[in-house]
Amino acid sequence: MSKLTSEVEVLHVEVHRRMIENGEWDRILHLLSSKLSESGWADDLLHRAKENSRSMDPLSLQTILQELLSHAQTSVPLSVKREITTLIKQFVREQFEK
Amino acid sequence: MSASPDSTHTALFGEESTFSNEAHPGIEPSVSSDTSENDINRCSHITSVFADPSAKAGIVGKFKTVVAWHTRRTHGALHPAKRRKVSSPTCDTCNQTLSRPFVCLQCSFTGCWSGGHITDHLKETVHTFCVDAKSGSVFCSECDDFVFDDTIDDLYLSTVLSVEEQKTKFQVEKRGREPYQPWIPTGDESIVLKDAATVPCQGRRGLLNLGQTCFLNVILQSFIHNPLLRNYFLSDRHNSRLCKHSDCTCCEMDNLFTEIYSPTNTPFGPTSFLATTWKVSAEMSGYAQQDAHEFFITALNQIHGTCRGSTNISCNCIIHQTFAGQFQSDVTCEKCGTVTSTIDPMLDISLELRSKSGEPAADNTLASCLRRYTKQEKLGAREYSCSKCTKASHEAVKRLSIRTLPPVLSFQFKRFEHKTSGKAAPQKIDAPIRIPASINMAPYTTLAMNTTGKDGETGYPGPDAMYEYDLFAVINHEGQMDNGHYTNFARFQDEWYRFDDDKVTPSTLSDCLASNAYMCFYVKRHLDYKPYVKPTYLVAREKDIVREQAMEREKEAARMKEVDDALIAMV
Repeated sequence: MSKLTSEVEVLHVEVHRRMIENGEWDRILHLLSSKLSESGWADDLLHRAKENSRSMDPLSLQTILQELLSHAQTSVPLSVKREITTLIKQFVREQFEK
Repeated sequence: MSASPDSTHTALFGEESTFSNEAHPGIEPSVSSDTSENDINRCSHITSVFADPSAKAGIVGKFKTVVAWHTRRTHGALHPAKRRKVSSPTCDTCNQTLSRPFVCLQCSFTGCWSGGHITDHLKETVHTFCVDAKSGSVFCSECDDFVFDDTIDDLYLSTVLSVEEQKTKFQVEKRGREPYQPWIPTGDESIVLKDAATVPCQGRRGLLNLGQTCFLNVILQSFIHNPLLRNYFLSDRHNSRLCKHSDCTCCEMDNLFTEIYSPTNTPFGPTSFLATTWKVSAEMSGYAQQDAHEFFITALNQIHGTCRGSTNISCNCIIHQTFAGQFQSDVTCEKCGTVTSTIDPMLDISLELRSKSGEPAADNTLASCLRRYTKQEKLGAREYSCSKCTKASHEAVKRLSIRTLPPVLSFQFKRFEHKTSGKAAPQKIDAPIRIPASINMAPYTTLAMNTTGKDGETGYPGPDAMYEYDLFAVINHEGQMDNGHYTNFARFQDEWYRFDDDKVTPSTLSDCLASNAYMCFYVKRHLDYKPYVKPTYLVAREKDIVREQAMEREKEAARMKEVDDALIAMV
């Protein structure tokens, strides 16, 4: 079992490295951020972070992150999630076909 | 904080009461002449390190290298000249490849944030600062948080800018982008500045409703919060006391800014602005409810007309410098492939809320409206005849794009619909529209569309920073066609306010974005600069002076000659 998880980890590290090195990571990230901006997700998060931190004492990034993380992750629009997941899957498939 | 015309100087930290004089003796909270003194949340550790010149030089140098490297790298990854490997560091602890490296500013360590290895490193080695290569944010291990420092902030902006300037080659043929030069007051200017009285740097005053004049108030508020117009009129470029024209809208703007930035903060009645508008524009006169967008266009024309340097072609008056852009319309003949391009000037963009089928689109966003606006459109058989194959019988494709982006983009959403056929009353479309706090306009430009590659990837029109726009005002229309009411939202720095005639209330970004926009205004985040050219009127004035001096000299010479002649005659 532990051997299996470590294999998966090794694979993940490798795919991650390739994704960054050939620029795919940046391209997908760029697309993702423009989609999240259009859908209003980015502005909603900015608003929440700002309004939360107005009354926060002491002001701390870690606290803001903790407060927003689960909301941020669950509120990503389904269509955006699907599109980006498809792109990542496609990339991984290409890597294995070569 | 209720109605807020009287709290003109709400600081970045929200409630003003926490910002009392007692805590900062000798510092007036209203005039933030030195941000570092006022900033109570400043990190003391970085200040003490920066007090030592050699330590400062080391940190500054490292910071610059890291930020410049990351800017260049992202740029290269998104728009590769050739497909090649992108350099990417690994975490010195866990060996993960890093897409967003954190770099220690006191040694060569690079680490990951998510695994906590960079913060572990700082603790183990008793180093204090590390930087996020992406955002340029500096983390202080003693504060155990990211810290703000104005030196670092300036350094980040200037480093990113200088890398981007190097990457922008296309703007003027074979020349790079004109480098940004910060203003450094000359000797004379600093003498003047020393004695000058400072005025509050933000003006927020309600405008009285003078009888269904909310259409005027919302547009004036959008002008007041427009940074380019504000800077122009506050820098005394059109002085109403020196202006010789009567019924001058530019003078009205000058007076308006004087009123808004005066120490008074009771609501102001723009009576003389209204009176001048009535005099110069027949269709706006009378107490009828007007369309805010129509007034916007009228006001732009009036300001343009009364502004110095106003011409009919390539005008560089403040209105055209601020709002003018260009559309390009390309018609491609389906048969021979000839492209005919026409270029049209624009001051604003009017967007349809309905799709082709006539129904309001379900999920309207500003971006989806713009995509619809710049979509290829098939022209009918008779609508176009190709100049090359001279037959009108075949089809053609038309595509609109933005050729030149203006510094301030104004959008109008077509909410008022006049049916061309039938006597049906005009209808209002209440369909919601989602607008973002900032938008990248690159995909809608002619440059991006024409360089679209064969494999369907969008072309590269230059660094993103050239296309980033930030929202600063939104105009809303409530109610129906004939009995509606206009209100607006406007932003000063990072705070939003709602304006309802004379009532001004603090608001939030999400309230502003959730309101149903009729018009919205965006300002370019990084302005472009032209090489400095002396304005033509200055050149003309100097020539006049030279000519007058020459005439004076001739007169003087003639007089001397007369005297000489008289003397000779006497002798």
